[in-house]
Amino acid sequence: MTRVYLRWVPAAVVTAVITAGALAVPLQAGASVDLPDKTPQEVLELIGDSTKDSLSGTIEQTSNLGLPDLSAGGSAGGSAGGDEAASALELLTGDHTARVYVDGHDKKRVQVMDRMAERDLIINGYDVWLWDSKENTATHVAVPPHDKGDFPKPGDTPTPAELAEKFLEAVDPATEVTVDDDTEVAGRTAYDLVLTPRSSEDTLVGSVSIAVDSETGLPLRVQVTAQGETEPAFLLEFTELSLETPDADIFEFEPPPGATVKEKELPEHPSKDGKTDGDHDDFPGEVSGSGWDTVIELPAGSAPAELTESPMFAQATEAVDEGAVLSTTLLNILITDDGRVYVGSVPVERLQSAAAGG
Amino acid sequence: MLLALAAVPVLIAVAVRLSSSPPEPGRGPPFLDRVTQNGLFVSITALVVCIPLFLPLTVGVVAGDTIAGEANLGTLRYLLVVPAGRVRLLLVKFAGAAAFCLAATLTVVASGALIGAALFPVGPVTLLSGDTISVGESILRSLLVAGYVTVSLLGLSAIGLFISTLTVVPVGAMAATIVLSVVAQVLGALPQFEWLHPWLFSHYWLDFADLLRQPIAWTSFGDNALLQAGYAAVFGALAYGRFVTKDILS
Amino acid sequence: MGEQPNPAVELAIETRGLTKRFGHQTAVNAVDLAVPRGSVFGFLGPNGSGKTTTIRLALGLAAATSGQVSVLGQTMPGRLKDVLPRVGALVEGPGFYPFLSGAANLHRLDSADRYAPSATRRARVHRALDRVGLGHAAGKKVGAYSLGMKQRLGLANALLMPRELLVLDEPTNGLDPQGTREVRNLVRSLAAEGTTVFVSSHLLAEVEQMCSHIAVMSVGSLVAQGTLDELRRAGESRVRVRTPDIAAALRVLAALGLAPEQTEPPGRAGGDGNDDSHDDGVVSAPLAPDSRPAEAIVAALVAGGVRVRGFTVERASLEDRFVALTGEGFDIAQ
Ligand SMILES: Nc1ncnc2c1ncn2[C@@H]1O[C@H](COP(=O)(O)OP(=O)(O)OP(=O)(O)O)[C@@H](O)[C@H]1O
Ligand SMILES: [Mg+2]
Repeated sequence: MTRVYLRWVPAAVVTAVITAGALAVPLQAGASVDLPDKTPQEVLELIGDSTKDSLSGTIEQTSNLGLPDLSAGGSAGGSAGGDEAASALELLTGDHTARVYVDGHDKKRVQVMDRMAERDLIINGYDVWLWDSKENTATHVAVPPHDKGDFPKPGDTPTPAELAEKFLEAVDPATEVTVDDDTEVAGRTAYDLVLTPRSSEDTLVGSVSIAVDSETGLPLRVQVTAQGETEPAFLLEFTELSLETPDADIFEFEPPPGATVKEKELPEHPSKDGKTDGDHDDFPGEVSGSGWDTVIELPAGSAPAELTESPMFAQATEAVDEGAVLSTTLLNILITDDGRVYVGSVPVERLQSAAAGG
Repeated sequence: MLLALAAVPVLIAVAVRLSSSPPEPGRGPPFLDRVTQNGLFVSITALVVCIPLFLPLTVGVVAGDTIAGEANLGTLRYLLVVPAGRVRLLLVKFAGAAAFCLAATLTVVASGALIGAALFPVGPVTLLSGDTISVGESILRSLLVAGYVTVSLLGLSAIGLFISTLTVVPVGAMAATIVLSVVAQVLGALPQFEWLHPWLFSHYWLDFADLLRQPIAWTSFGDNALLQAGYAAVFGALAYGRFVTKDILS
Repeated sequence: MGEQPNPAVELAIETRGLTKRFGHQTAVNAVDLAVPRGSVFGFLGPNGSGKTTTIRLALGLAAATSGQVSVLGQTMPGRLKDVLPRVGALVEGPGFYPFLSGAANLHRLDSADRYAPSATRRARVHRALDRVGLGHAAGKKVGAYSLGMKQRLGLANALLMPRELLVLDEPTNGLDPQGTREVRNLVRSLAAEGTTVFVSSHLLAEVEQMCSHIAVMSVGSLVAQGTLDELRRAGESRVRVRTPDIAAALRVLAALGLAPEQTEPPGRAGGDGNDDSHDDGVVSAPLAPDSRPAEAIVAALVAGGVRVRGFTVERASLEDRFVALTGEGFDIAQ
């Protein structure tokens, strides 16, 4: 009887509506936005004029570097070991969600939300705390008064603004700056500034696009696309953003009872903006080249033996004359047999020649 | 079944208590190392242990039994002749399954808190963010977590309800539901199915830990509730379509 | 919708062209049932003839492949919610939770009924259990009930509320003689209160004793339906004459237009202690419904000089009729 089929109609309709709704939501997020046109220079100025320095929000980082997923070992239940380099690598390659709270220049809290665990960086004036819930350790770093400002932490997920600043610093004649279609990030309208290396031979980077909040000039999203790819290899964006000043007690941190508390001395020569993605750094490395084809050299012994000797390392890398190469879509890393490390968004040959030259 | 669930935290607490060396941080289930410092963590550790298999197992048994069990006993035809109304029966059965999810979760949490308080010191609780909250607030958080886990299981309950309308063999429906929960988690662990992950009903199961941050990260709670509501709506509608047209021949 | 109020008799159950197929097997084939209100309706048929299936269709448990059913004047399953509260049913044996007591099972089923007042629930459960003789076993787990006890509990469930129609599928299945008799009395007393009772059964003697109407199913089709008397009358009756004058009796009966035959030779029909009867034989003849009354036949025999020592008019038994309608074969038809 036809009645029988009619009874299935609600099921079909509900399923259809929900599927359609679920598919439509992401589409809607990308719905077209139309802002008054701005030239690249105007957008750059918008960023430069940005005074917004208190906010709270959620940042998502996705990396699609073509590396084995190292984050799997570090999530729920597994042991990541205490190795900072591994942890930094994990932060760089995995997908992460972090909440950031910023109030002025001397109060900041970043919460990297791992599954069942959390890593925190809390900056409150001269006190800097690093907290790792999995290891149950709190590390305190006292910042001397003259070193006010962002404190670098290896493996800290930077905000899109910090990352954007770094890319913008590198804007030079070798970079073509354009403005793409207006977009929407974290519910805010934004200009999409695109930086493209003029020469595609010296670097692996295809383009960097920075979504800039149309109202405040705050960078909301940074996407790095590798040469010849269409999907971004690296994405850092706000998924939620509030421009209100966060509660002061968010920046209060007391090591919880039972936690291991460590005191750490500040490194001797903190650089002005020690970011951690490996290209600008606060450790004694050498930087050669500039802009897109920068190569960083770390001295012998930088690659820990347990890393280079682990079977996973052998699996992930490719042997070359000088040592082993870890290739990703955005970044090549050459680890020489004597433990020097060369990193750059450049073809492997350039790293090899840098290694030979050094 | 609830008794078996209540036994899990007891087992964990007793095992930790009896072992000579306290668990090291970062080894074993998350939070295990906190248990010796604060008994209230027994609840959370027990939940982490129960969520992947034990809770879905009991929920699968209950949800798979809803309609098929009645059909198997022959009580279904008498309920329908009463008449209980097919839609009403489905709603009551789903509510029953949901109530079981809540009861099961609360059992784990309550039994964990009690055994934890009995065997270990109790004091202010350290959250994932490193902040410390009072015992009273920690109980509130535990209840929130219980609510989260209950909601997490609703999608599976709806699936079980639907499968249960397909058969008169309750064991078959239970097994199918449990197998699905395992399959979902296996798929969730395979990076090859990454595009599918946000659609799996088990996707947010372990994210209840977001309620243990300071401030509470509500996003996963909302996403989870939305996802589970979607599953409940789709499979509820499927169960409706199946059940109102079904010939009751048992 | 398709309701046509029948001026003559109000029908408790009416089906028109009711058909149910399971795959390619037709379990119920174009059945037109008419169960008058106030009747005790016997629903007969061999195993697998489609009785239970018809009942399921009437109660809205299964959907008909084609045809209509109306119960208590309302179409089913469309008006199911209005109809079923007025119907008590026992379908294909009882179904209860084995881990609950008999009383608890009834409580549960009763609380599923929105029309059943909860205030009187306890009393009604108690009364229903008493009525089927389970008063003493009310607190016992159903898992520990015997077959007959479960069957009684099923009956009690149908009696929880006053009903206009009771549908009982093989109610005496598994009952002891006392139980069977009680069910019979119960059905009679319910019928006396005005409840229509629709009983399916294989026990012809039972049906014969309690039913006013009968329908017979065979291989999914309805082969006969009517009052008990109509059905019996439709079967053939016979006259039996016990006499030593066999030849004369045969002659007289033949003269009356009957087709007599000697069923027992002289000397065989005796043995009732009568000294005269040692040389009796029996002549019998089928009696057409329109033939002469029995007393006229006796008068003709006596007038013809036949020593009539015994004379009976045998109505066909329901069993004869049943077998005639549904066939001799023991094997299940489909
Ligand atoms: N679920 C089913 N699937 C397929 N065929 C069925 C089903 N239920 C019943 N049948 C078939 O329908 C026919 C009628 O079955 P039904 O149960 O109505 O017989 P019945 O007259 O009640 O027999 P009984 O006197 O043994 O109770 C049978 O041939 C049976 O095989
Ligand atoms: Mg039957």
